[in-house]
Formats: sequence, structure tokens, C-alpha cells
Amino acid sequence: MSIELLVQALLNGFGLAMAYVLVALGLTLIFSILEIINFAHGEFYMLGGYVTYYVYALFGLNYFATLVLAIVTVGIAGVVAERLIFHDLRGRALNAFIVSLGLLWVMQAGAQLGFGVLDKPVPSAFSGVVRLFGLVMSVERMVVSLTAIVLIVGLYLFLRLSRPGRAMRAVAQDPDAAALQGVNIDAVSALGFGVGCALAGGAGGLLAPLFAVSPAMGALPVVKAFIIIIVGGMGSLPGAVLGGLLLGGVEGLGALFMGSAAVNILGFLMVIVVLLVRPRGLVGGA
Amino acid sequence: MGSSVERSAAAPAAGVALIAVAAAVLPLLTRDSYYLDVATTILMNLTLTMSFRLQVSTGQINMAHISFMGIGAYTSALLVTRVGLSFWATLWIGALVAALLAVPIGSVALRVSGPYYFLITFAFSEVVRLFFNNFFEGLFGGPSGLVGIPKPGRLLGLVFDSKLALYGLMAAISVVVVLALVRLDYSRFGLTAGAIRQADLVAETLGVNVFRYKLTTFVLGSFVAGLAGVFFAHFRQVLHSSDFGLEPMVLLVVFAVIGGTGSVWGPVVGTIVMTLASELLRELHHYEILVFGAVLILTMLFAPEGLVALPGAVRRFVRRPRRRAPAPTGAGLAP
Amino acid sequence: MLLELHSVSRYFGGLQAVADLTMTVASGSIHGLIGPNGAGKSTVFNLITGVIPLTAGEILFKRERISGLRPSDICRRGVARTFQATALFREYTVLQNVLVGAHLLAAPGLVPALVWSGAYRERERRAHERGRTLLASLGLGAVASQVAGQLPHRDQKALALAMALATGAELVILDEPLAGLTDQEKAETTAVLRRLREQGITVLLVEHDMRAVMGVCDTVTVLDHGVRIAEGTPREIQTNAAVIEAYLGAEEPGA
Repeated sequence: MSIELLVQALLNGFGLAMAYVLVALGLTLIFSILEIINFAHGEFYMLGGYVTYYVYALFGLNYFATLVLAIVTVGIAGVVAERLIFHDLRGRALNAFIVSLGLLWVMQAGAQLGFGVLDKPVPSAFSGVVRLFGLVMSVERMVVSLTAIVLIVGLYLFLRLSRPGRAMRAVAQDPDAAALQGVNIDAVSALGFGVGCALAGGAGGLLAPLFAVSPAMGALPVVKAFIIIIVGGMGSLPGAVLGGLLLGGVEGLGALFMGSAAVNILGFLMVIVVLLVRPRGLVGGA
Repeated sequence: MGSSVERSAAAPAAGVALIAVAAAVLPLLTRDSYYLDVATTILMNLTLTMSFRLQVSTGQINMAHISFMGIGAYTSALLVTRVGLSFWATLWIGALVAALLAVPIGSVALRVSGPYYFLITFAFSEVVRLFFNNFFEGLFGGPSGLVGIPKPGRLLGLVFDSKLALYGLMAAISVVVVLALVRLDYSRFGLTAGAIRQADLVAETLGVNVFRYKLTTFVLGSFVAGLAGVFFAHFRQVLHSSDFGLEPMVLLVVFAVIGGTGSVWGPVVGTIVMTLASELLRELHHYEILVFGAVLILTMLFAPEGLVALPGAVRRFVRRPRRRAPAPTGAGLAP
Repeated sequence: MLLELHSVSRYFGGLQAVADLTMTVASGSIHGLIGPNGAGKSTVFNLITGVIPLTAGEILFKRERISGLRPSDICRRGVARTFQATALFREYTVLQNVLVGAHLLAAPGLVPALVWSGAYRERERRAHERGRTLLASLGLGAVASQVAGQLPHRDQKALALAMALATGAELVILDEPLAGLTDQEKAETTAVLRRLREQGITVLLVEHDMRAVMGVCDTVTVLDHGVRIAEGTPREIQTNAAVIEAYLGAEEPGA
């Protein structure tokens, strides 16, 4: 077992990790602001994938322009969902769970009926591989990772520097205090939900060329997102990045020793260990 | 919530009797194997949702509940097909194995609370499912599943080959389970469980060992789930790891919550209504899921306490104080 | 001495909430714990009742170590408490709240509850009787069937006390029992506390109303920034220079 093999395995694991981190960030944003876990999150990812399919693969718009369109469209869908369904469920986890489940089924069935159940392939915008120090990485995956990193940095700056971003952080920390300071909780909730979904939609658009688009494509990323935020810590942006790297690394290495189906078990074992040893997550505490 | 001697024993007794009578009457109305199948499934789900609700009553949302059903199922299936034990023995052994495994798993999960407990039990359930799906394929059947599980054998000369007999068996099991869980809920046990759910620190400082209470409901609930699992194995005669995964677990949660977890009867209402609804919608294929999802959303938005609380809500709505000029003396709307 | 604290300390990170506190509570007395805001009084209560662990020292009840036990075991030994923000089971009725408090005296196991044995029914009947008597003695007899969350403030405070007493505790620890009460209600409550003392129940309380504290307590311990600065009879405390200084800018003792 050479070092190169190990590092290559790690690299393969990291390749997609950043995109899953996007999904995780969306989920944790919604959790921080509305105190609910949105089980339908993967469906917004799926929506982003379909927008990419129709606009980029079928219509022929430039890939990055399509990505922006996907992000905006899914973001708007998120705002609509929050206004119609979620805004009264702040803090009521069990009911929100059932409602988001209902939304998941509605969106799933809607996708099956509207788009058909078959996989729809999306051509890659980039081809070729990059070779460095004996390691191989496909250009496509590099673009995915880099774009995801750009979006993550963008999110970070948005939360830190912009007015709505700071309002979102205030509500996430202490909604009552934020309300007292004049923050419009309803508007922030809607915006937060929208941004969260937009991130998922972006990830869907990024990964569509790699995995093809299907109604059920959101299931796996959302599970990975859960693992990432539990390991990294709910409500923590750097935690999500760290969790994503850890999961990517563990799964990449794991793939060397066991079949891909069994690799999935590793993520859950990580979750159990973290929840026992440090329930707030590695960087948790927000 | 339970308050032992104070409340009359009439209501719970009547409720259990109603269920028992309904269960007994059904086979008189129909021998159609489809209807018996649906009824058997409803009764099986009932034991699962009620035992799930037992845990919810202490504030635990245990996403691994279905895993204990799976543990009971696989234990019995293997003991019967490989070791040659009788179903009537493995019924108890399967449930016991589930309960015994629940002790360490529950002790570990209960070290955290709230959403973390939800997540850790979810993680456990995936680990268990993936274990049954990918490891020891020779024993558990791997992704193709475990087949060839026989129906229950003879007991006291009675044969359990037919749908009717299996229905009868499940009915007997469910009545006992419902009786036990209703009894518990109406007793001090239920009173304490609700106290823990509302304010566990206060309960603890009043002398309630909250950890032990929660663990007891965890183990007891898992015992019942194991029991249901053993029945499931010999009823369906085929086991697959997906029978114990997220989808069926989520359905259990839905049945319990739609019915209303505030009352011990909630799961009864929820299971019956939702199972019937899904059977009725089954013809619609994709639309079934769409409608089901819409039903969930609407119910949670307009009946957040569950269906079982609807009569009370309607009553309160009808009796609400009306802002009108006072009625002429004599006549009037007496509240 | 019923309750003894020996060199008890509690640190939160670098912050010293309670430092090297030694104090004793005599059996059958009403003992007050006072001090300016942030003096660590509630922390002391949480330490005694096992809600948070000690960083150092030990706590003895009836000469037996209770520090390190879980709160339910400490209650089992005979210590009960109320909370500052009145903590009740809001969905339950007043009587149901008290019945939960009677847990230790009525506790069946799983099996008696399942089987509804004669012994179980008898214990429950007695718990109900005792609960009703307790409620009546605290002026809550009329509201026994009301939902706790809808009670007026005075009744909620009384209910919290009833729940603590229902445990059969010998030492009752009250966190600001007079907060938010009118003068009339305070007088009623202090009368109740004196009655408890007559029945042999020991009371340890934290209060901000100095007049009430000095009027009802046999002994008073004064904390400031987690450190004990004085202990003695109310009269001794009122004339203690260190105490007066600690309160300067806050409240004057005896005012």
C-alpha cells in the first residue's frame, strides 16, 4: 500500500466533499435560523439538478450561467416553501419533521410525474485530467470543488459583512434579542430558508454532470449533509467544512478496503462516535 | 395523561374493549384474504406505533425503533430455519434478544438528548440496516434478502397456516400489547413519563431517576418491537434489510404523529386512518405519494396536536366565547 | 447539623462561581442565603441538589456524602427544592403536579403499575389523600383540578412548594419563594415557612427581600462573589460591616 495510493484515495474522497459541504451548509443555516430540520432539503438539491438539465443540457445556456440560474430559482422556491409551510413551525421539531417529510413526498412525486422517473444524463462541461506528483484528478471534479469553495467563501462573506447576513446570524444566536433590536424575524426566516435551499440547488447543479439527474438524486447528498453537520457541529460554517473533509477522507480511504456499499456505514459510525464523545460536534457550540 | 386511581378506569377499559371487539368482529364480516392482510398489517403497525409512542411520551424520538423489529425478525428467522426451534419459542426469544440489545444501545443513546438523540438513534438504525444488508450474507441474505421462512407451527393442536389464523394470532398479540400500554399510560408510570417530557430536570429533583425511566421505556418499547418483528418474519416469510430502514420507520413516525402523540390512543387513530388512506390511494401510484405528502402537510398545519385532538379542538371552537351584544333575557347561547 | 458544606468550590471555565464555601444548616431551622446579584446563591443550590457537579469540596446531608450523587438520589435522601423561575408541569393539573412530587413515597415499579395490584392502588389512594391535604394546607384546595400553566403567580409559587413537600423531604431548599408576591402574600408564605419549622422541616432559602429574610430566618449566610463573608443571626448580619459594604450600591440590609 503505497503513500501515493493512500493520498489518491483521500483526493478522490475530497473531490466531491466540497459540494456536499454546500448541501450541509444549507441545512445547517436553516436549522440555525428556524430551529427545524428540513428533511426535504435533498429535493431542493434535485430541483437544482433539473434546472441544470433543462437549461444547460437541453437549452444550451453556458454552464456557469445555468448554475447561477439554478441557485436563484431554487432559492426563490425555498422562500415560497417557507412562507407557505414552515414559518409557523419555528422550534416545533417533530411537527416540522412531518411537514418536511410531506414536502419531500410532494416534491418527489411531482418530479416523477413532471420529469419522468428515468435518469437524465447531463454532459460534462469540462473534460480531461490533471496530473500532479503522480496523482490524478479529473478537471471536472476540480471545477466542482473550486466552484463550491467559491460559493462557501461567498456565503461566509455574506454572513459576515452584509446587513441581511448579519441579521441572519443575530436571529440564529438569539431570536428574542434580535427581535428586540428591530430585526424582522419573518423576513430573515424566509431569506435564510431561501439561501439554504439555494445552496442545495447550487450543489445539485454542480454534481448533475457527474451523476445524472433523477427524482431520487437528493437522497444520498442529504444523508451526507446530516453526517457532515453532526460531525462538524450544527450551526457552524467552519465545522461543516471540517466535517466534509473528514467524511470525504474517511470514505475515500474506506473505499480502498471495502465495497462502496459498506463504505456508507463508516459515516454513520463516525456520527455515533461524535455524538457520544462530543455531541456538539468538533467545532460546535454555536 | 395518567393519574391512576383518580381517573376512572372506565375510559381505558372501554377503549381496549372496543379494539378487541372490532378485531374479533372483522373475520365475521369478511374472509377475503386481502382484507385480512390489511387488517393484520394494521394490527402489527399498531403495536409498533404504540410502543414508539411510549418512548415519545418521555420525550424520546427513537429512530432506531424499527431496528429492534428487525433484530427480533432475523433472530427468529434464523433460529427457526437453522436451529429448528419452534416459532412459539422464538416469539419470546426474538423479543428478548431485542430487549437485551436495547439495554446497551439505549444507555449509549440516552447520554445525549433532544435533536442529538434523534440523530444518534437514526445513525444506529442505519448501522443496523447496513449490517443486515452487507455483512454475513450467508446468514442474513445480503441484498437479495432472506427467504423461505416458514409460517408458525402447530400450537395445542391448532394449525396456523391460513390468513385467518395469522390474523387471529396478531389480534391476540395486539390486544395484549394495547392493554398493557394503555394500563401503563393511565398509571403512575404514564404520569411520570409525561412529567419527564415536560420538565425533566424538575422531575429529577423530585426524585425521579430520569435516565432509568427513559431506559425502561426504551427497552420495553424494543421488546414489543421485537415481538412484532418475529410475527412479521413468519407472516411475510421473506426478510429484507429495507423492511427495517428509514422508509418504514418514517411511516411509523407519521402514523404516530398524525394520530397525536399526546394521547395513548393517538397511534391507534393514526395507524388505522393512514393505513386505510394509503390502501385507498394505492391505485393512484405516483399520485398516492403526492396526496399522502399533501395530507401530512395539511394535517400538521391545521391539526398540530394530531387527529385524536380534533374532537377537543372542534368542541373548543364551537364553545368559544362570542363577541356579540348580550342576548335578550331568557333565551340565549348558554356555553 | 443537617446539611454541611465543606470547602465547596465551583468553577465555570476560569470563572469562580463559588469559592471554598463552608457552611452548615441546623436541623429544624430556617436558614437564609443572601448576597448581591451574581453572588453565586443559585449555584450553591444547584450544587447541593446535584444539578451541577462540584469542582472541589464535599457536601454532607445527615453526615452522609451527597455530593456526586444524581439529583434523584439526593431527593431520595430527603432534600427537595424549588426553582427560581417557577418550574412546574404546565400541562398537568395542580393535583397531578403534586402527585408527581409524591413519586418517592408512592413509587411502584413497572410491574405493579402494569398489573394494578391492590398494593399499588392503595399507595396511590394514599398519595391522592396526602396530596389533597397538602394542597389545602397551602391554599390550593380550590384549584386542584386547574391546569398548572394557567395559575396566577402566587398559586404557582405555592404549587412549587407543595411539590417539594410532597416528596417527604426533611430539608426544603427554596429559590426566591417570595419573588413577585404582594406584601400580603409574602406574609402568608412566611407564616407557612414557620409552620414547616414547627413540623420539623428544615428550610434553606435564597431571598432578595431583606425585611422578610431578617424577619423569618434563624440564621443567615451572606455570599459575595462566591465567597462567604458573614454568617450569624439576622441582628448580627445587619450590623456587620463587611455585609453592609458588599451591598453598597445594591440594597441595604434591613431596609
